[in-house]
Amino acid sequence: MVAIRRRPLLGGLAAAAVAPRFAAAQGGEIKFGALYPFSGGLALLGDESFRGLEVAVEERNAAGGVLGRQVRLMKGDAVDQNQAIGEVRRLMSVERVVAVFGTYASPLAFAATQVTELQGVPYFEMGAISDPITERGFRYVFRTCPRSSDFGAATVGGIVDALAPAYGIDPKTLKIAILHEDALYGQTVSGFQEAQIRQRGLNQVEKLAYSARSVDLSSVIQRLRGVNADIVLHTGYQNDIVLFFRGMQEANWKPRMVIGSGAGYSLTDTARAVGPAFDGVMNVDFTQFAVNEQYAPGVAAFVELYKRRYGSDPRSGHSLANYFGARVYLDAVQRAGGTDKDRIRTAVLATDVAEGTTPTGWGVRFDERGQNTRVRPFLLQWQGGRQVTVFPAQAAVAQLRPQMGA
Amino acid sequence: MDILLQLIANGALLGGVFALISIGLTLIFGIVRVVNFAHGEFLMVGLYATWIMASQLGLHPYVAALPLAVVFFFLGALMQRAIIQPLMNADPHIQIFATVGIGTALANGALMLFSADLRSVDLPWARQATDLWGIASVSRGNLVAFFVSFAATGALIAFLNRTHLGRAIRAVAQNRYAAPLMGIDVNRIYAITFGIGTGCVGLAAAVLAPLYPAFPTVGSFFVLTAFVVVVLGGMGSLEGAVIGALIIGLVESLAGYYIAPDLKEVVYFAIFLGILIVRPAGLFGVRGNE
Repeated sequence: MVAIRRRPLLGGLAAAAVAPRFAAAQGGEIKFGALYPFSGGLALLGDESFRGLEVAVEERNAAGGVLGRQVRLMKGDAVDQNQAIGEVRRLMSVERVVAVFGTYASPLAFAATQVTELQGVPYFEMGAISDPITERGFRYVFRTCPRSSDFGAATVGGIVDALAPAYGIDPKTLKIAILHEDALYGQTVSGFQEAQIRQRGLNQVEKLAYSARSVDLSSVIQRLRGVNADIVLHTGYQNDIVLFFRGMQEANWKPRMVIGSGAGYSLTDTARAVGPAFDGVMNVDFTQFAVNEQYAPGVAAFVELYKRRYGSDPRSGHSLANYFGARVYLDAVQRAGGTDKDRIRTAVLATDVAEGTTPTGWGVRFDERGQNTRVRPFLLQWQGGRQVTVFPAQAAVAQLRPQMGA
Repeated sequence: MDILLQLIANGALLGGVFALISIGLTLIFGIVRVVNFAHGEFLMVGLYATWIMASQLGLHPYVAALPLAVVFFFLGALMQRAIIQPLMNADPHIQIFATVGIGTALANGALMLFSADLRSVDLPWARQATDLWGIASVSRGNLVAFFVSFAATGALIAFLNRTHLGRAIRAVAQNRYAAPLMGIDVNRIYAITFGIGTGCVGLAAAVLAPLYPAFPTVGSFFVLTAFVVVVLGGMGSLEGAVIGALIIGLVESLAGYYIAPDLKEVVYFAIFLGILIVRPAGLFGVRGNE
């Protein structure tokens, strides 16, 4: 067993402020790929994800870089799967990058990792949540962020550990309904929710799918009303979330609580479009900025760095998740002492960071398949137009309010 | 029983929404004989326009409806003159490419200007539930849309039947080669009809803005249903469009509840195919007009 020096991730921040610039001590640069959707429909959050990586790299460079060399990010624009493959090939063959960072969207990660794995170039995933990305037996694909199954577990766990106690009742008496859009995202997340509900012996009364292109969800709402659902677990996109809440208002009915699964439920514009009825709605997602600084040390400092760099507040938690991941990987490459893929793999897998010591609150401990097992999404709630962390208790900044709507 | 009445009310109101969007399309489809694939994107532009007028100028969306319809009339007429007219005698595929191109350009233009986020007109009044004689609870905005779609259809039918211009439009629809022999300027009729059709979308957009948020791809959510409604009702038939829209709305609502929400489209397309097998020209269509 190799002894690993545990290096607090926050250390870099303080160092960044005071350390003199070790500009390219050993000369030259070390190139990494940054593969994200920078244009097209996914561009907004793709770019937001990249900013987290960029902040981490700039901070690292100010502190001397990696292996004594300055890190240089080579951008690849992955608009769709084909372009992800084309761009990652270019990064590997023309730019000769040591490893690739990415990707935000799961389909893009699937496509790009197939290519990097064949070439033996390490792939550092920091934002795509589809489980199978790290279940295909690939040796050089690693992921720091939680998976869909972690989302399912956090949602159902939240009902048992946070919501039912807030109601002061036995979770088994709650009637739970699952509602999801019928494409890959909704199917996957709702499948894990259903499995969790069964495993914990809870009472699932309904599972409904609908097309995300629906213009009317009134019949869905009537079905939920018919089974008298207490909790609705909803996986959807922005537009159908708005239709769902407007429909409930029209039907004059609502369950005791709606719990979303990231995506549309995390966007301020959704909250604005729905209006006061969105207050109290719960959500499960990557760490957001309203989180307990004690449990996520460095989150405020990250927001400061981000603001200084881009002149605005972060647009979503994606940048934070990528900042966290990038620091883990850059640190591992440094420890590897070289750019050989197997040395990088050994160093990444040897990483050991406790929960509650990083800006996301997540810890790091990879399994053999390259998946970080010390991560989980937190339970959030919309309160006064802002998403605040309400569970687990160590990360919470506000009390869970057990009712929804104005 | 209660739930059935509620579902019927929801279905009829949804039908009103579809009717509002379809009447413009059926005019263009039935009279100019151009499949306007940009119809949904016009609706999207209208939703954004209403949002801008409401949020920047503080104009009530229902007040914005009339000026918007007028502006859209001229936009439609202009588009017909500039883009469709030169292609009137070209292969129908070319016309399809042209309208698909306009639609794509509009959707991506909106993506550039407004990003993919939702923009919503803030009119809580329209989203409040109102009780219909204790049998169903529906939103006021949906009721308004329902009545506007009937009023607009009635007005258009009267216009087509009672005025000289209206008769000329119907003459062109019946036979575009015989009409000029009767002294009708066919190209002018095309521009006017296209204008009226897009004007109807402008009206629809303003009335629907309090109910549906605007985003770049919102048009594609509605346009497929609108085409089904138009073909079901019979191309060019306004009565047909309204009846077709009500049928689709009711089927969506009932099938979504009694079968499954993700299978409602299967049900209405099955009914659609069934009706076309029995009546190939649609419910109110004239044989040979298709």
